[in-house]
Amino acid sequence: MDMEEILNETCSANQLQKFEKQYNKELNDGYVYSKTQFEYGTGLVLSRYPADIKKGLVLLEDLMAKHPEGNRDYLYYLVIGNARIKNYLLATKFLNVFKEIEPANSQIKALEKVIRKKMDRDAMIGLAYTSGAALVLAGIIGGAMALVKK
Amino acid sequence: MGDDLLTTLKILIIGESGVGKSSLMLRFTEDEFDSEQALTIGVDFKTKIINVDGVNVKLAIWDTAGQERFRTLTPSYYRDAQGAILVYDTTKKSTFQKLDSWLNELDIYGTRPNMAKMVVGNKIDQPNRQISRDDGFRFAKKHRTMFIETSAMTSEGVKDAFEEIVRKIIETDGLWERRNVDGNVDLNQKSAASYCQMCSLI
Repeated sequence: MDMEEILNETCSANQLQKFEKQYNKELNDGYVYSKTQFEYGTGLVLSRYPADIKKGLVLLEDLMAKHPEGNRDYLYYLVIGNARIKNYLLATKFLNVFKEIEPANSQIKALEKVIRKKMDRDAMIGLAYTSGAALVLAGIIGGAMALVKK
Repeated sequence: MGDDLLTTLKILIIGESGVGKSSLMLRFTEDEFDSEQALTIGVDFKTKIINVDGVNVKLAIWDTAGQERFRTLTPSYYRDAQGAILVYDTTKKSTFQKLDSWLNELDIYGTRPNMAKMVVGNKIDQPNRQISRDDGFRFAKKHRTMFIETSAMTSEGVKDAFEEIVRKIIETDGLWERRNVDGNVDLNQKSAASYCQMCSLI
């Protein structure tokens, strides 16, 4: 398990609410500070609800475009968020961009391992489903053929 | 080794940016040192099983980012921690002066009132020391925490720091639960109990 804990950890609803309040306040005032957007974005990405996570990913991608100096932090949470909603391909894409900046980073290496493991597991489950479906289909065909033969 | 695990303990590492929190964790868990250790993003996590006084304990170590931008995010990870290691850099006075605010963070966001705390003065391998051992010791005494000086680079004191905090946690009643690796209730205990009930029935 180990690093998988990182993907399971969530931001408390109370804390997320605080981030949201500050973000909305600044939005109404007409200017959102990058720190505020980062806090709200990461808080959302760590939410237990997929809809929140998706919203957080949009905020972080927006930061990437506007404030490239914070890229390693934004990229890291883009990997985490996408992995948390099982969007492993996109998670891997951001992970590779991160690795171009810091190839030896141990946090990103550990994340990569977790994501690979999850992708393998999902592939196995997918295989089990399709082979299961094939067996059922074979059963139906077999049964039908037996009926026809009768 | 996992069969006779007494419990799993959550240990936090907190303190200013660049004091060596990640290096302490890396030295302790992998016995490695990276002189170009990257700045931690949010929080890093590693586990290690250690034997303290004849019992095996699994440590879940949460290494938090020291950078200001993560200050509002990291307290979410304080929840349920049984021990906290507060790190300062013995060659940088400002990191020592910030210990008060880190203790304060623990008081606010920690969920276990009797959490074990240890102040760690790191980087004693460096020549340009600004905080004496006495200064560190006095601070720890004043705030009733444990204290040790370490060097993640030479590994001096690192193992002791983690072992001491584990001892302190184990000694503290009500701070930990007898559990297995997955965090479930110890099945051995349960089956032993039901076995005894059966005995009395017979």
